[in-house]
Amino acid sequence: MKYITFILTQTARNFKQAWGSQLMTLLTVSLSVLFFTFFFLIYNNMLQAASRLGDELRLIVYLDEEVKSSLQAGYEKKIRDFSEVEKIIFISPQESFEQLKKQLGNDRDVLDDLDASFLPHSIEIYLKHDLENLSRIKEFSEYLSTLPSTMKVQYGQGWIERFSYFMNLLRMIVLLSGTLLALTATFMVSYTIRLTLVARQEELEVFRMLGATNSFIKGPVLIEGFLQGFLGSILGLTALYFCYLWIQDHFSGPGFLNLFEFSFLTSPQALVILFTSVLLCTGGSLVSIRKYVSI
Amino acid sequence: MELTESTLLLDVVKVSKTYPPDVIALDDISFNIQKGEIVFLTGRSGAGKTTLLKLICCLEKPTRGYIEIGGNDLAKMKPVSIQELRQHIGVAYQNFRLLPKLTVFQNIAMPLEVCYMDRKTIRTRVHELLDALDIIKKVNVRTDKLSRGEQQRVAIARAAANKPSLLLADEPTGNLDTASTRRVMDLFQHLNSEGATIMIATHDELIYKKTRHRVFSLDQGQLQLVQTEAVVQKEQKA
Repeated sequence: MKYITFILTQTARNFKQAWGSQLMTLLTVSLSVLFFTFFFLIYNNMLQAASRLGDELRLIVYLDEEVKSSLQAGYEKKIRDFSEVEKIIFISPQESFEQLKKQLGNDRDVLDDLDASFLPHSIEIYLKHDLENLSRIKEFSEYLSTLPSTMKVQYGQGWIERFSYFMNLLRMIVLLSGTLLALTATFMVSYTIRLTLVARQEELEVFRMLGATNSFIKGPVLIEGFLQGFLGSILGLTALYFCYLWIQDHFSGPGFLNLFEFSFLTSPQALVILFTSVLLCTGGSLVSIRKYVSI
Repeated sequence: MELTESTLLLDVVKVSKTYPPDVIALDDISFNIQKGEIVFLTGRSGAGKTTLLKLICCLEKPTRGYIEIGGNDLAKMKPVSIQELRQHIGVAYQNFRLLPKLTVFQNIAMPLEVCYMDRKTIRTRVHELLDALDIIKKVNVRTDKLSRGEQQRVAIARAAANKPSLLLADEPTGNLDTASTRRVMDLFQHLNSEGATIMIATHDELIYKKTRHRVFSLDQGQLQLVQTEAVVQKEQKA
């Protein structure tokens, strides 16, 4: 208990002695956490949106002739052999016609003089959520076009490509920002602690002459790094939460964010960020200790 | 780190110290000090007094020979054990080694903090020492605002703070007036009466001339036992 009290007192004294640089480091760690978590929050929400849109993703195979009930099982087998799918529905022109009518709503009377036979037979294939794997969808589409009687295969190729490109870009940003900001935070903490240690060389020397042990000298410095990481990530996450509230406040209503529920980080995600930040900053201080403090 | 129950506290055996390229600070000196003894070490400036004290408190290593404190050979001790041993040795350095940005209280509290003493004990002990050395009014003053004499007393108070088993004082009265010198010597006597072994390196003849304790003289790296007036008188009476 005395040891803990001493360590905390000494840490407070160190903070007080170099409060300017300590504050700058705290701000750097907070901003690093804020930038990284902001991109991560966007990425996370886009993943959720992708998952939701993936539920709706389907490929439609238009056929130039009807697939008899006896052949449907064979078709299904061929399709499932290539890729796992959620469900396969064979649709007759009549069913397509009814569906079209529904979609037209009040304008359905434009179909009054038409017969259902102008629509082709088709197969709707619902994929398992795999919006991420665009090349797989492309391959699948190419495979489906080789099936007998296939006239055309259709899926939202344009937006899937754009969405996939956007997701890849976002993933790169998250990874790069995460790596760079983690390095920045670690370097800043390590550098500040190094400066503090250099400024305190005389004091540490006197402590050594008085018989200070390793834990006596290193303990407060480690706690400094720990606190920088802990407080920095708490500040960063708090700032992110206010950003999140602001975004929700200003972008709610009809528009982009209504496509999906814009949500904040989950508790485990926040805890992992906090833990990582603490780990990196404590690691940074450990590096400085090893270099500049020796008994 | 425990000191042995033996009555021998310090044993210096055939110790030499040479600084590069070939400056001989100490040349094959041997002596020992019993627990509870007060010993004076005299000699002119540059005679090797400070070097000897540095070797005893492990700030430097001898070129030859060995030093034992409380039965522990310093050369064979691990760094951790040396740190623990230093907690039992109080050193008042000639150049004080105070931290200028810290207050008198904070400087004197350092050795007590190293031993994880509680705040109350630290406060009591620091005030007790400042009272004894008559600088209690300066308790919250930064040490760089003190006179040399006051700084010297703070350095002595810091050395004595932890009630060390062995107290090494390097020129402890060099900057002090007669009254302050008396106070310092009284403090040493008091610590000694509580069991501390004290070694005082000084060239101030006034403080050891009439002493009945052993006085060693260092000259050109050689150590000699000095016959003081008091010892001579004692021998004559005997």
